[in-house]
Amino acid sequence: MATKAYDKSFREEVYQNVDSGEDVKLCMQCGVCGITCPLRGEMTHGPRQLWSLIRAGKRDEVMNSPDIMLCTSCYSCKVRCPRGVKVIDVMHGLAHYALEQGIVPRKETSKFGKAFWDSIYKTGRVDETEVPMRYTLMAGPIHGIFNMLEMMDIGRALLAHKRMKFKIGPGLPPSKKIKGMKGLKKMLDKAKAMSPGKEG
Amino acid sequence: MDKNQACYLCKGCGLGEALDFDNLEEVLGESGVSEVKTHDALCSPDGVALIQADVDGGVNAVLIGACSSRVKTDEFNFGSQVIVERASLREQALYCSSDEEEAKEDRQMLAADYLRMSAVKLAKSNVPVPFKLELEPETALLVVGGGVAGINAALAGAKAGVQVYLVEKEAALGGFLGKMAKLAPESPPYQELEDTGLEELVAQVEADGKIKVYTGNTVDKTAGAPGNFTITLSGGDTFRCGAIVQATGWLPYEPEKLADELAYGTSPGIITNVDMEAKAKAGDLGGLNGVAFIQCAGSRDQNHLPYCSAVCCTVSLKQAMMVKEANPEAAVYVIYKDIRTPGQSEEVYREAQRKGVVFIRRDEDYPKISESGGKLAIETKDMTLNDTVEIDELDMVVLATGLKPNNPKVVDAPLVALGMDQEAAKKLAAESKAQCDSWSVLNLQYRQGPNLPTLKYAYPDSHFICFPYETRRTGIYTAGAVRRPMRVSQAVEDATGAALKAIQAAHAAAEGVAVHPRSGDMSFPEFAMQRCTQCKRCTEECPFGAINEDEKANPLPNPTRCRRCGVCMGACPERIISFKNYSVDMIGSMIKSIDVPEEDEEKPRVIVLACENDALPAIDMAARKGHKWSPYIRFIPVRCLGSVNLVWIADALSSGIDGVMLFGCRHGEDYQCHFIKGSELANVRMSKISETLDRLVLESDRVRVEEISFNEVDRIPEIISEFMETIEEVGPNPYKGF
Amino acid sequence: MTYFLYPGCSLEAGGSHYLVSVEAVAHALGLTLKEIDDWNCCGASIHYVGGTELQTKTLNARNLALAQKQGGYDIIAPCSSCYIQMIKTAHEFEEEPKLAEELNQILAEGGLNYTGGVKVRHILDVLYHDLGVERLAAAVKKPLTGLKVASYYGCQTTRPYGEYDSVENPHTMDEILEALGAEVVPFEHKAKCCGSGIFFTEMETCAPLAGGILGEAEEKGADMIVTACPMCQMNLEIYQPRLNKILGTEYDMPVVFVTQLMALAFGGDFKKDAALDRNIVSAAEVLKNAAA
Repeated sequence: MATKAYDKSFREEVYQNVDSGEDVKLCMQCGVCGITCPLRGEMTHGPRQLWSLIRAGKRDEVMNSPDIMLCTSCYSCKVRCPRGVKVIDVMHGLAHYALEQGIVPRKETSKFGKAFWDSIYKTGRVDETEVPMRYTLMAGPIHGIFNMLEMMDIGRALLAHKRMKFKIGPGLPPSKKIKGMKGLKKMLDKAKAMSPGKEG
Repeated sequence: MDKNQACYLCKGCGLGEALDFDNLEEVLGESGVSEVKTHDALCSPDGVALIQADVDGGVNAVLIGACSSRVKTDEFNFGSQVIVERASLREQALYCSSDEEEAKEDRQMLAADYLRMSAVKLAKSNVPVPFKLELEPETALLVVGGGVAGINAALAGAKAGVQVYLVEKEAALGGFLGKMAKLAPESPPYQELEDTGLEELVAQVEADGKIKVYTGNTVDKTAGAPGNFTITLSGGDTFRCGAIVQATGWLPYEPEKLADELAYGTSPGIITNVDMEAKAKAGDLGGLNGVAFIQCAGSRDQNHLPYCSAVCCTVSLKQAMMVKEANPEAAVYVIYKDIRTPGQSEEVYREAQRKGVVFIRRDEDYPKISESGGKLAIETKDMTLNDTVEIDELDMVVLATGLKPNNPKVVDAPLVALGMDQEAAKKLAAESKAQCDSWSVLNLQYRQGPNLPTLKYAYPDSHFICFPYETRRTGIYTAGAVRRPMRVSQAVEDATGAALKAIQAAHAAAEGVAVHPRSGDMSFPEFAMQRCTQCKRCTEECPFGAINEDEKANPLPNPTRCRRCGVCMGACPERIISFKNYSVDMIGSMIKSIDVPEEDEEKPRVIVLACENDALPAIDMAARKGHKWSPYIRFIPVRCLGSVNLVWIADALSSGIDGVMLFGCRHGEDYQCHFIKGSELANVRMSKISETLDRLVLESDRVRVEEISFNEVDRIPEIISEFMETIEEVGPNPYKGF
Repeated sequence: MTYFLYPGCSLEAGGSHYLVSVEAVAHALGLTLKEIDDWNCCGASIHYVGGTELQTKTLNARNLALAQKQGGYDIIAPCSSCYIQMIKTAHEFEEEPKLAEELNQILAEGGLNYTGGVKVRHILDVLYHDLGVERLAAAVKKPLTGLKVASYYGCQTTRPYGEYDSVENPHTMDEILEALGAEVVPFEHKAKCCGSGIFFTEMETCAPLAGGILGEAEEKGADMIVTACPMCQMNLEIYQPRLNKILGTEYDMPVVFVTQLMALAFGGDFKKDAALDRNIVSAAEVLKNAAA
């Protein structure tokens, strides 16, 4: 069995730069989060072990763990954590932090999420027609078309049942912005500047 | 006293419909109770008034045939000068018996027998006269030990208006509190370390006119009994006191014993939590960049201290916080098996985590500590990572060692017994226990030895959850870490509790009444000395060491040390010990009063001698819950199974009773006996019953001892039906009709 | 009674039948719903990919500030994802003074301010606590007698604070459905996750989650799954053919919103009020059979 040495630099990095990262300190290793997670069977580490790895200073193992983006946001762990650790927020924070470092924990979710956030940042809302389209097209022109074709059945069904607005072509015409978009953009920029690890 | 007796039968709760009251009146008449009244609800104000009017008219012995003696006690209390005897017709005749028509006859016989027994008991009972000490009773309180528990006990006593003597062996008050740098957070929000507050406590003691402090003194001798102890100090002073609180603290576990496991002694950087506290107090925590705490250093370890000391986790949290306060950048690790933070200390755990202390869960194996280039390194199993991990660049490793009882004679029995066979280990354990019992803080002048009897792990105690502060020496209470490991705030609470218990005990002694568990009982054992054979059984077996001996081995009872359990009465082969309202003759006569049908009637009779502390309430609850059992059972409550005299078994079997059961409390290591050794003694005595049975040419299956705890309600009918089957197999008692 | 309605992005599109039925139910029960003017997206479950936690809270703080400015009524968020995001920000705003201060600094950039106190409510909360099942039962004109339903709350509907119902074993929707005359089958998956926000992108991984829900509903003999979350409705319904392919199953289970059934039971039109024509796995037949 490999011997791992404890290193304090990564935990300090997480405490300072990751959203809700300081909550990791509060974990008492009971394991309720891990056993409560609906995708526990799909995870290599699960939240509890991730926290331990953070404290032990295992940067690579944590940052490259696909688990950090496998959270369904069901809140079971947050509800049950006896220490009140915001497990979900830490998981999301770690995923965000990894993406910022250029690490992509889960490809598809990252692409979709990016399209989703871009829509918010541009229009203030998410257009349920536009976002999946953008997402499918991110695969590149050829794959994008195939992906689109694959989604056609679902798109058609939604359209037929008045659950999707009809549009011609991706992103055309551009989605309507909220009235206060200018202000919202300023707020979001300010919020970003004030987020952990972004100050100064 | 002239007895003027009367019986009152209740027809409420269904008794009226279930029983033939004319027959019961007849039975009572045959038993010598001619005055019988019935009422539809005896516990109603009207019913009580009926009895009260007769009492006012001169009735002084009342037999009540109604519900269990454990209920309606206020209603049926007519003052200390009126004897009240209760026949539990509702629980023991009505609720527990079948309500079918053909069962009516058996039920009637059951009720009749309970009234016969009660009538005999009433006839043989006398109003107890409380014991009076020869000298004027003393209520002053002696507190031994001037640490946090002792100081607080003294202050609590003084506050209650009692003269207090506070004895401390060191030159100054303070005990271990005086060696502590800070306390772990004790008050909300449990985030800030707190001052010990010792100076303030000492100032309070010094300012209190009711507390006389003897520093630099130990207790040479404690003679006498509650209400009249005479204390001799090492400095030569003597005084009387009524009760005692022993608050003599604890000893740290010897780290030298951890040299093999945790490299203690190999590096100045490997220290104990006690050393760490001293460093902190000296303000010597600067310059620490890496510190690791190893929890359970010798605790919860069969080779060292097998138990959890309950405080080491909180102590390490506190010390880790102190290191972080001195240097927030320091890497601080706590390597633990389980973090145990009782009460609000969980908040302290959280606060230490917030401050960035890192916690690593290890397995049963101790971490390996090594030193190189002036730095320490630890290799340990990390249970969460399921891997071996290394922590290096440490300046200090603190071993969180546990607390031992404060008795220098205590040896770690499991350690010395290791590798020995069972018998040798047992012998060694007994020897070390004797050693440990021979040393004492109080040096009691008691027949059974100078120390407070000890239980598991050599802690002096009776039952530390049910009856905290109690010891097996009446009037002497323990407070603080002397009775079990505990932290400062718990010791403070303990001190108050023990002081109040002690004051109560002194007052009880003055009034001649018992303390817990028979609080207020005025009866006490009286010895018909002219028939004593000096066999020493009573002096040896009394669970409370109440009976001293003279040179000729005559028992010298100390009634204020007595808890009134009757163990001496059960022990005495000459049956010379009796209480005014509880005696060998009384119970024997009750047994003999039971109407035993002829063999051909096929109605066996079984008596159950039931402990009134646990078994009796369980029986009551079983009946109230609707359990039914054989109508051939007759329950006889006893103060403790330890008070059961073997002659009762002989009485029962020779009068044709088919079987005898004894219901008592659990004994052994996790005993639940209110009198500590009663049920155990009964068990030992019953194991020797075969002699009696052989003499009578009877089968040993006819006698059985059962352990029943208070909550084992559902077992009652099972045990009874199983025993009735056995009795049926064994067949009728051949003595029937003799 | 007047409430703010926060439809969220979902109810504008994939959950349009939820919106139609919510409005119909509100109308039938005499509730006035006002849409928060110029609301923005809550960030939903996937916000973290592009945004930071504080940015997501900013999105929600803006909506809360708008609601406060526009009258301060309780906000009904029928979408569970919107509900959880908004209530989380509202809670943390009250509990963490530092966060509250930061958010107001940020809101000031857009000329807004929030002082706290606006209540965020799930539609089940309002129906159950403000109106009560007795009033709902009294409004029923066409009871759903004979209809067996699996009452599925999903994960986010009652979490994370358990404000109006148990987080582990919720019951409000069960009681509402019983008030409509439906039979609620015992359902262990009632508060289990369907895959939520990553279902779409991690379908292979999440398929067993959704499969478990559909499977239990079928096993318990439910005619349909009833939910109060547009993401659950979407994941469980429109991807059923995909799930069948992945899991080798043959589910054909209608998944409808509780408000659709309410609109119908209150005597509303199948299309106009209940928007049941918008369900891709049609519930028309089971509803007809049940009524018969």
